[in-house]
Amino acid sequence: MRSLLDRLYLVCGALAALFLVAIALLVLLSIIARLMSWQLSGLSNYAGYCMAAASFLALAYTFGQGGHIRVTLLINRLQGGRRRLAEIWCLGVGFFMAAYFAYYSIKMVQVSHLIHDVSQGPDASPLWIPQLSMALGTTVLAIALLDKLIAVLRGAPVETAASLVD
Amino acid sequence: MQEMLLTGIFLLVLFFLLGSGVWVGLSLLGVALTGMLLFTTRPAGDAMVTTIWTTSSSWSLTALPLFIWMGEILFRTRLSSDLFRGLAPWMNNLPGRLLHVNIAGCALFAAISGSSAATVITVGKMSIPELRRRNYPESLIIGTLAGAGTLGLLIPPSIILIVYGVTVNESITKLFIAGILPGIMLALLFMAYVMIVATLKREHMPPSEPARRWRERLQESLYLIPVILLIITVLGSIYLGIATATEAAVLGVLGSLILAAVMGDLTRANFVDSLLGATKTSSMIMLILAGSSFLSLSMGFTGLPRHLAEWIDSLQLSPLTLVLALTVFYIVLGCFLDGISSVVLTMAVVEPMVRQAGFDMIWFGIYLVVVVEMAQITPPVGFNLFVLQGMTQHQITYIARAALPMFFVMCLAVALIVAFPELAVSA
Repeated sequence: MRSLLDRLYLVCGALAALFLVAIALLVLLSIIARLMSWQLSGLSNYAGYCMAAASFLALAYTFGQGGHIRVTLLINRLQGGRRRLAEIWCLGVGFFMAAYFAYYSIKMVQVSHLIHDVSQGPDASPLWIPQLSMALGTTVLAIALLDKLIAVLRGAPVETAASLVD
Repeated sequence: MQEMLLTGIFLLVLFFLLGSGVWVGLSLLGVALTGMLLFTTRPAGDAMVTTIWTTSSSWSLTALPLFIWMGEILFRTRLSSDLFRGLAPWMNNLPGRLLHVNIAGCALFAAISGSSAATVITVGKMSIPELRRRNYPESLIIGTLAGAGTLGLLIPPSIILIVYGVTVNESITKLFIAGILPGIMLALLFMAYVMIVATLKREHMPPSEPARRWRERLQESLYLIPVILLIITVLGSIYLGIATATEAAVLGVLGSLILAAVMGDLTRANFVDSLLGATKTSSMIMLILAGSSFLSLSMGFTGLPRHLAEWIDSLQLSPLTLVLALTVFYIVLGCFLDGISSVVLTMAVVEPMVRQAGFDMIWFGIYLVVVVEMAQITPPVGFNLFVLQGMTQHQITYIARAALPMFFVMCLAVALIVAFPELAVSA
């Protein structure tokens, strides 16, 4: 189970990275198309979908790597049991929000599929397909938060929260 | 009266969630949800995902991960030592000598990198050991680096300007162009400060390097060519209007990959690491942006931004007073939050206010970046300080003290931007 979950986060993270490469390739293609005056429409919409996929699919992987930032001013001053309690609170609230987000993202995909919602742009893609990335990514994030919450409840050590990105 | 109470609850939830350490993006989602539940009967969840989907699948955002990736690639090359070698011979004759390499290096790297942490790390990796070896005063080595690192976010490309542009719906290209002049000005102000201190404290300065002949200097400058080519590709294409920010970003990624390959640093591991690093950072920012887009929607229902804008309007403040108040506000906020979070968190409220006051939003973006960056070199939360702490093992208080003069230099820069708004508008 443990390795299965870790692999899930990693695979989604890797998929996200591939979508990032896809953004680069799509933008490159649009530059070439413009130079050659080819008529390729909808490229920017596809790049947008890749953007969403790259962002959402990486959520859980980023969480696992401590990549999401938080205000650490107070919690890093707490020790022992209080620190653990604070972490449980954060993970609990985080899980609730991620699960709420995931629930409505899944619902959105279902509705888009049901009413055959298509993009307003020149690509006219059925929207439920790109929206899948948001549903999947947020669901996996919710799983990762729950996973961590259970671990901390069972007594796993709480590491000092650090964030070193801008 | 009831509305006041609800607003109070709303703000309380905001401070409590953020302050208790819930991840910023998820906190914003939680606050926004609370706002929706308190102030409207509209189905919150559906509105949430629609808003977030529209924001996150937008074309203009694609510049963000690309610029981050570019920085990650360059960070893994020997660019930092090349910068040092190329710049050092030229700075030797200025008062303060090689300390200026910190500033000029940051300014140059800032023109190909969108983040101030990346700028500090890349330049400091080489300059800290080299300057220490030559016995430059430690507080000046660290202070100049902390200050000049902020150029990473001011001189385009800039991650925070992309985030700001997307949040307030202004052209990223215009913001990028508007950031160039204030960036150069700030770099010159930093250099002027170093020259003054070096002249006053001549006895603390190490002796001059052996004088170099012009031929030698030029030879060493060849090391700057790759950086300059990249700057021309990225900024030049934006400036000339032949590429959008996103297109320039992909050219930058391509250029950086070629550069890394030429330098022999493009290993498989480096490629994968840079890609995963970029994925992680952009995912982190996107979660915050997702939260903030929902928060903006929710804020609209609370009426808070409108009331605040009306209230500010009724006070008949002069623009100068308003700017002063906002500056203090953002510096205080920066004590708890990083730059991007401060910008996206407050824009829902501040945007209507400053639009009402008649500010140019491009100018305001540049002003905001400098102010937010000032907060990043003041404790307790300052990312540039954290980065330098990791690199030098000094206490955060020591680093903050070393950076304090730079904080005042930046105050001066803000004053100049306010006094001469034409500095920060795109032609």
